[in-house]
Amino acid sequence: MRYLSEYRDPKLARALMAEIKRSATRRWVLMEVCGGQTHTIVKQGLDELLGEAVEMVHGPGCPVCVTPLEQIDKALALAARPDVIFTSFGDMLRVPGSDCDLLQVRARGGAVRIVYSPLDALELARRHPDKEVVFFAVGFETTAPANAMAVWRARELGIKNFSVLVSHVTVPPAMTALLESPDNRVQGFLAAGHVCAVMGWTEYEPIAAKYKVPIVVTGFEPLDILEGMLLAVRQLEEGRHEVENQYVRSVRRDGNQPAQDLVSQVFELVDRNWRGIGPIRRSGLGVRAEFADFDAERRFAVDGIHTAEPTICRAGDVLRGVLKPFDCPAFGTMCTPEHPLGAPMVSSEGACAAYYNYGRFRSAV
Amino acid sequence: MCLGIPGRVVEVHDTQGLPMGVVDFGGVRREVCLAYVADEIKPGDYAIVHVGFAIAKVDEAEARRTFDVLREMSRLDELEWMRDLAP
Repeated sequence: MRYLSEYRDPKLARALMAEIKRSATRRWVLMEVCGGQTHTIVKQGLDELLGEAVEMVHGPGCPVCVTPLEQIDKALALAARPDVIFTSFGDMLRVPGSDCDLLQVRARGGAVRIVYSPLDALELARRHPDKEVVFFAVGFETTAPANAMAVWRARELGIKNFSVLVSHVTVPPAMTALLESPDNRVQGFLAAGHVCAVMGWTEYEPIAAKYKVPIVVTGFEPLDILEGMLLAVRQLEEGRHEVENQYVRSVRRDGNQPAQDLVSQVFELVDRNWRGIGPIRRSGLGVRAEFADFDAERRFAVDGIHTAEPTICRAGDVLRGVLKPFDCPAFGTMCTPEHPLGAPMVSSEGACAAYYNYGRFRSAV
Repeated sequence: MCLGIPGRVVEVHDTQGLPMGVVDFGGVRREVCLAYVADEIKPGDYAIVHVGFAIAKVDEAEARRTFDVLREMSRLDELEWMRDLAP
């Protein structure tokens, strides 16, 4: 077993699809809340193959896509400073801010570096003591332990020229906000396996019970996603609404305790603005006061930046599952991966980019 | 963004007090932080790695059990097709 290629077996996929179609007596609306799953679903055409049994709605599962414009503008302001080396995961570089993106700041001479891991950013800080190294700490709960460790290690090793610009978001409050929305159509969720590898699934149990929605913790390979869909469809058909775990090889009910412990020592729950969706109470993580020295917003006083979203881009409706990407008037014309208006077109995990790249210009069903 | 890739731990060591290790991803090797799985991981185990951090150990027994269920489903499915096609 290599735990990868085995989960792409077409014969097993066919059997799972047949079972989903057999199980569904009607068409159910499911939402995945993970950009990686969105990408697999659209690339493999799983939603089109199962169109009569399941409608997949793509949720706000891409941290790049939901990072609010004002955090991007703060990143741009920091990256333009001559004393700063600005570090980020690669997918943030082309996200449009109010008037440019990080790549353009780099073209104008800003020191913008792509890193694979936040520990690589910390290492840069150690090697450049004359510079301020700022890391753009974005992501869901999956990424929070890595970013928390970078801050923790910076303090432990006495590295004082390192800080993080945080735009961390958490999944359960967003799911609740979607379910509370009057135009919600979602009847069941595929929860993101790696978020749950860190957090476990206890947070989802009250959501499943209160809103009577099945929530299936699901992996990322085609067979994982198909099995997740099958478990959700079976629950819906049987009138059950429980949290179920498809991704048993990597997720336990309580998640990863050491990771949760470090995250809660470095970060605390804060209100966050979601790009395209708006503010959601206690839906993000911010740096605790004890680690204020490592908080780029406090250190560089960029917290005065407030910006508004452009109106033509319908990213918010796409992220809430109200519109499919091709329903947006700008999709594929004014907004393309080369010239994106909204973040879901930028990130390869964004629903708009996935639809564009795999030629989904109209509904197949 | 939450992309996590399974890799095989080939070496475990300590870097200035931080549990680190080398993980093999189908031939590509990389230094990975093992702090969050330090109590349960040993060389030879598989772990899910995200942005340079192991976030979960892959449970081999559970992985095999899932496959047994899927293969059984596939076998039954084929038997059904054979029945459907039978004259």
